Amino acid sequence: MFHTKIAFLPNTKQSDTLLPWVIAVMLFLSTLSLALAITLGNGLNKWSQGLTTSLSVQVINANSDMRAQDTAQALKMLRATPGIEYADIVADAEVLEILSPWLGELPTENALPVPTLIEIKLISPDSVNISALKQRLKRISPNIRLDDHQAWIVQIFKLANTIRWLLTAVVFMIILSTISIVIFGCRAGLATHKESIEIMHMLGAEDDIIAKSFDQRYMLHGLKGGAIGTSVAAIVIYMISNLIENLDTGLIGALLPQNSNFWWLLILPIFTAMITMLTARFTTKRALLKLM
Amino acid sequence: MITFENVGMRYGMGAEILRDISFSLDKGSFHFLTGPSGAGKTTLLKLMYLAHRPSRGLMHFFNKDMATLERRDLPRLRRRIGVVFQDFRLFDHLSAFDNVALPLLIKGAKKSDIANHVEELLSWVDLEERMHARPATLSGGEKQRVAIARAVINKPDLLVADEPTGNVDPSMSRKLMHLFIELNKIGTTIVVATHDDELVKNIGAPILSLSKGELKQVPGSRELTDLAPKRPEIHTSDLSEPRDIKAMN
Repeated sequence: MFHTKIAFLPNTKQSDTLLPWVIAVMLFLSTLSLALAITLGNGLNKWSQGLTTSLSVQVINANSDMRAQDTAQALKMLRATPGIEYADIVADAEVLEILSPWLGELPTENALPVPTLIEIKLISPDSVNISALKQRLKRISPNIRLDDHQAWIVQIFKLANTIRWLLTAVVFMIILSTISIVIFGCRAGLATHKESIEIMHMLGAEDDIIAKSFDQRYMLHGLKGGAIGTSVAAIVIYMISNLIENLDTGLIGALLPQNSNFWWLLILPIFTAMITMLTARFTTKRALLKLM
Repeated sequence: MITFENVGMRYGMGAEILRDISFSLDKGSFHFLTGPSGAGKTTLLKLMYLAHRPSRGLMHFFNKDMATLERRDLPRLRRRIGVVFQDFRLFDHLSAFDNVALPLLIKGAKKSDIANHVEELLSWVDLEERMHARPATLSGGEKQRVAIARAVINKPDLLVADEPTGNVDPSMSRKLMHLFIELNKIGTTIVVATHDDELVKNIGAPILSLSKGELKQVPGSRELTDLAPKRPEIHTSDLSEPRDIKAMN
């Protein structure tokens, strides 16, 4: 049954005036956690798409003639394979540059045999059967190795998924904490207004009328706290996005939050208001049932 | 209309405050509830305005057995009972007007009806000038009149008043008692708890006398023919100055 709100609760001298600020802090933390979880997921997908179309082949042979022969055969086979956009030899100078952190500066014409690297770009991540390609390269020479970065990507994804689950758990814990705080706040409010509730009952008010006053008050607390917390979190996310944009490289660049992923920020205060309202209604009605 | 049969009341595991209380209040009757402090008057009043269920015994309100009554049916029953609390129990953040309007708002009355009735009733209790004042700015007597107006605005079937004339001057006391008598004339059962022996003597209504948790009934000292139901319906405009107020004194 619908009841209009009867303002029997005073607006001043309340025991729950800090509640919107507590909700704001909770919302700030959960918004950041959610934003990080979403960004991490989307960013890793974007980043891994770039990686899974890139392969590298190492031709390892101390004998430079044999290495050149294997390289030529592998290159011929790779270029003839459908689904491969291009396959090119990485210049020795570039290979030495890659190795320089471990081996130091080496002259290009040195006697140290370094593997020949072939860089492969696939048309799409699934345009080539990687294990079949590995077998065919092995048939050319056992000294040819194909590196599709899978082992590394799997580890990175495992770590990222663990972090995402942790962040999701953090969000749930924050929601549960917020609900608990609202329950405690509501109980304190019920205790503060015990006499007013008794008078309302004596005047013939149903529990719904009394509960409505409480849940509307807590809905406003939720809306206010939600709006403040989400707004501050949005500002922080915007500032971090700007910092990441300046770095725009590799994995960190891929983690740059996209505006299209953050539409949910707008509904978060409403969601919070609903949660606080329902919690307050449930708590109030349960408490009122204990009264005559 | 209201019957108590061997009603006993105790709080928790404490001693029994009321013992074997049995009485019956007919529709349109007028009773005083008297007794020394600690006799159990407040507890009996609480049972009458359905703030508590008895520890034992049977209570019937408007042909409804309280023992079998569902909790969800209580609000409808309470709306038929007007209560004047000794400590007024007004909402401090609401004006006199809003306090008196509460029972009508709870009942779901139309706003225009609420405004008309509340203004009329507050005028009758000489508070038309203080209609928008908050309780904190009202004197004890004014608060009492607001509390009484709130209790009677719904034209209750039973009016329970705890020391309703305790904070008002004799003139206002007579006027308020007249309001109760007018309500009583249209069929409202009235129970007034009081220490005012003079008032009890003047009205001459039957007395429910409590002593150490036990009830003794004293019949009325005069024939209260004026208190019998006369009109089927009351309007706040009916609550005019009594014609026979001198006879009461």
